[in-house]
Amino acid sequence: MEAATLKESFIDKTKSKLGVSPEDSRLSLTYLSLAFIILFVGGFLGLVQGLNRAGLFELPPWFDYYQVLTSHGILLVLVFTTLFMTGYFYAGVSHVHGGLSPKVRKMGWTAFGLMVFGVIMTVATVVAGNASVMYTFYPPMQASPWFYVGLTIMVVGIWVAAAGIWTSAVQWKKENKGKHLPLFTYFGVGAYLLLFLGSLGVTAEMAMLIPWAFGWVETVNVMLSRTLFWAFGHTAVNVWYLVAVSAWYIAVPKFVGGKLFNDTLARVVVILSVVLNVPGGFHHQIIDPAITEGVKFMHVFMSLSIALPSLLTAFAMFAVFARAGKRKGAKGIFGFLKKLPWTDVRFLAPMIAMIAFIPGGAGGIAQTNNQLNQTVHNSLWVVGHFHLTVGVTVALTFFGITYWLLPYLTKRTLTPRLNKLGVIQTWIWTIGMLFMSGAMHWVGLLGSPRRTSFSTYGDNATALSWDPYLFLLAIGGTLLFIGVALMVYIAFHLMFKAPKGETEFPIAEREANDITTPRWTERWGLWIVVAFAVISMGYVIPVVEMIVNAPPGSPPFQPW
Amino acid sequence: MRQAKYGIILYIFLMLPPVVTLFEFNMTIHMHMQMPLLAAAGMLMYPFLKQKFPGFFEKYNKNGIPGIILFLIVVSYWLLPRAMDEALTIPAVEIFKFISWPFLVGVPLRDSWSKFSVMGKNVVLGILSILFVLMAVIYIFSDSQLCNNYLIVEQITLGWAFGFIALALIIYIVQQFFIDHSEYEE
Ligand code: HEM
Ligand SMILES: [Cu+2]
Repeated sequence: MEAATLKESFIDKTKSKLGVSPEDSRLSLTYLSLAFIILFVGGFLGLVQGLNRAGLFELPPWFDYYQVLTSHGILLVLVFTTLFMTGYFYAGVSHVHGGLSPKVRKMGWTAFGLMVFGVIMTVATVVAGNASVMYTFYPPMQASPWFYVGLTIMVVGIWVAAAGIWTSAVQWKKENKGKHLPLFTYFGVGAYLLLFLGSLGVTAEMAMLIPWAFGWVETVNVMLSRTLFWAFGHTAVNVWYLVAVSAWYIAVPKFVGGKLFNDTLARVVVILSVVLNVPGGFHHQIIDPAITEGVKFMHVFMSLSIALPSLLTAFAMFAVFARAGKRKGAKGIFGFLKKLPWTDVRFLAPMIAMIAFIPGGAGGIAQTNNQLNQTVHNSLWVVGHFHLTVGVTVALTFFGITYWLLPYLTKRTLTPRLNKLGVIQTWIWTIGMLFMSGAMHWVGLLGSPRRTSFSTYGDNATALSWDPYLFLLAIGGTLLFIGVALMVYIAFHLMFKAPKGETEFPIAEREANDITTPRWTERWGLWIVVAFAVISMGYVIPVVEMIVNAPPGSPPFQPW
Repeated sequence: MRQAKYGIILYIFLMLPPVVTLFEFNMTIHMHMQMPLLAAAGMLMYPFLKQKFPGFFEKYNKNGIPGIILFLIVVSYWLLPRAMDEALTIPAVEIFKFISWPFLVGVPLRDSWSKFSVMGKNVVLGILSILFVLMAVIYIFSDSQLCNNYLIVEQITLGWAFGFIALALIIYIVQQFFIDHSEYEE
C-alpha cells in the first residue's frame, strides 16, 4: 500500500519535474515558432497600413492596400492565433497528462501540415492579386477559388487539432476513472469545441462559395454567406479570448503568489462560453438588411449574454489578486495593487491584457446596441475596438505565456535581462496601442471609414480633419511594430539562446477551502446538446427566412 | 423558496403586454420560447407547490406516469396549429395557455422527472423526439398555410426548429447509449 502510493507520487513528481517529452515539445515549438514568424510578417503589414493611412507611404500597384489588409487580417487574426493556441494547448495537455500518446502527437503533426498547406495556398492567391477580399471574404466579391480551398484545408487542420486534444482527454478519463479532467485540459476541450461549433458555419459557407468561385453555379446568396461567416468569425475571436482566459485562471495566480480562486467557477466560465457564444455572430450584422428588427432585437440579448462569463472572470481575478495581496500583508481595499509583481513580465503582460479588456468589453457592449452601432459601423472605431480586444487582451496574454512556455519547452530559463526586455516590450506595446487604438476610436467617431486606403476625398474638409488622428495612428503603429520585432527577438532568444535550466509549467493550486467541483461540469454530452439548441434558437429563424425568401442571388464582382 | 420567487418573477414578466407581443410576433418564438419559458416558470414554482401540497403529488402522481401523461397531452394539444391560432384570437385560449403551460406542463414534468429512472427519462425524450420529427415534417412540407396568423415562411422555420430540437434530443439519447460511463467513472 505504502509502496504503491510512494511509487505513484514518485511518478507524479518525475512527470512534473521532467516536463514534456522531447517529442511533444518539438511539436509545440514548431507551432510556436511559426506563430512568431507569422506575427512578424503580419505586424510589418500592419505598420505599412498605418503609414499609408496617415498619407506617409504609398503602396506599389503590385501589392496594394487591400492585398496588404487581407494578408494582415488573415495572418494575424486567423493564423497567428490558431498556431499559438494549438502549440499552447498541446504543450499544456502534454504536461498535465504526463505526455501525449503517439496517436495524439500524430494528429498534432497532421493538423500542422494541413494548416500550413492551407495558409500557403490562401496567402498565395492574395499575393498574386487574385483575392483582395479581406479576411471576411464577403461575397459578391469573389476571390480565386483556391483562396477558399486553402481556408477550408486550414479548417480541416483545426478539426484534426481539436480531435487530438479531445482524444487525449478521453484517454486521460479512462486512466483516471471518476476524476475531473484537469482544469487545463478542460479549457482545451472547451476551446476546441467552441472553435469546432463555429467552424461549422464557415464550412457550410465554403460549400456555397467554392462552386461559385469555380463557376459551377452562377450566383450566390449574399446574406446567407455573410451570416455563416460571422457564425465563425465571431466565435473564433471568442475562442482566442477563452485561450487567454485559461492562462489567467491557471498560470497568472502563480506569479502573484495566489491560488486558483474557485475551480467550479472556472469550469462554469468554460461551459457558458461554449454554450452561449455562436449566435453572437449576429452583432456583426446589425446594419445588414434582410434580418427583421424583431430578430435583431432578440440578438441584442444573445450578444449581451456573452458578457456574463467575462464578468465572472473579472470578479475571480480581482479576488485572486486581493487574496494574494492580503497574504502578503496588504491593507485597505486597493492595498493589494502595491503587492503585485509589476516588474515580472509573466504577470505584467497578462495584467495589462486584462485591464485592456475593461474598455474593450465596454466598447463591445456599446457597439452591440442598434443605435450606437449605426454610428460606428464600418468606421475605424471598430478597428480600434478589436485591436484592444484581440491586439491587446489576446496578443499580450499570448506574449505573457511565451515567457514561461518557451523556456519550459526548451529547458531554458528567463533571465532577469530578458525579463526586463519583456517589460519594455509590454510597455511599448501598451503605449503603441494606446496611440493607435485611441486614435482609431476617435477618428472613427468623426466618420473615418475602415478598410480604405489613404484618400483626402478631394480635400473635403471633414476628411482633412481626420489627419491629425491618422498621424497619431501611424505613430502608434510604428511603436507597435517595434514591439513586434522585440517580441519575436525575445521568442527566438528563449528558443535558442537563453541559458539552460528548469522552468516550471505554472499551474495554480486550488484554495484549501475550495468546494468540491460538482459532477455536472463533466457532462460534455449535455453541454454539446445545449450549445446545439442555443445555436438553432439563434439561427433557424433568420436563416430559413434568408433561404426561403432569397433574392435571385448575385453574380461575382472583382473590383481590383 | 428562492426558486419559487424566480418562477413568479418570470411568470409575471412573461405576462407583461409588450413581452407578450414580442414573444408572439413570430411563430417559432411563440412556440419555442414563450411556451417553454412558461413551463420553466412552472418548474421553478414546483418545489413551493410540493411543499404546500405534499399529499396531492403523492396521491395522484405516485410513480410519475400520470404526470407525464398529462404533460404529453397538454404539450400535444399546443402542437396543433389551430391551438396557437386561437391563442392569438380568443382571449380565453390565451388565458388557458398561460395557465396550462406552467401548471399542467412544467409542474407535472418536474414532479414526474424526479421519479423516473434513466431509462424512463430516455423513453420520454424518445417520445418527444418522435413527436418533434413528425412536427418538423408537417410544418416543413405542408403546402398550405396552417395558421391564419403566421406566414408560410414562419411555418417552415418552425418546422426546422422542431427538426433541430429533435436532432439535439436524439444526439443526447444516442450518446448516452454509446458512452459507457463505467469506462470513465468509478
Ligand atoms: C504591429 C501591430 C499592428 C498594427 C500596426 C496594426 C494596424 C492595423 C491597421 C492600420 C488596420 C486597418 C485599417 C483599415 O481598416 O483600413 C488593421 C486591421 C486589422 N488588424 Fe491590425 N495591427 C497590428 C496588430 C494586429 C494584431 C496583433 C491583430 C490580431 C491578432 C490584428 C488584427 C487585425 C484585423 C483582423 C484587421 C482587420 C482587417 C480587415 O478589416 O479586413 N492586428 N491593423
Ligand atoms: Cu463578435
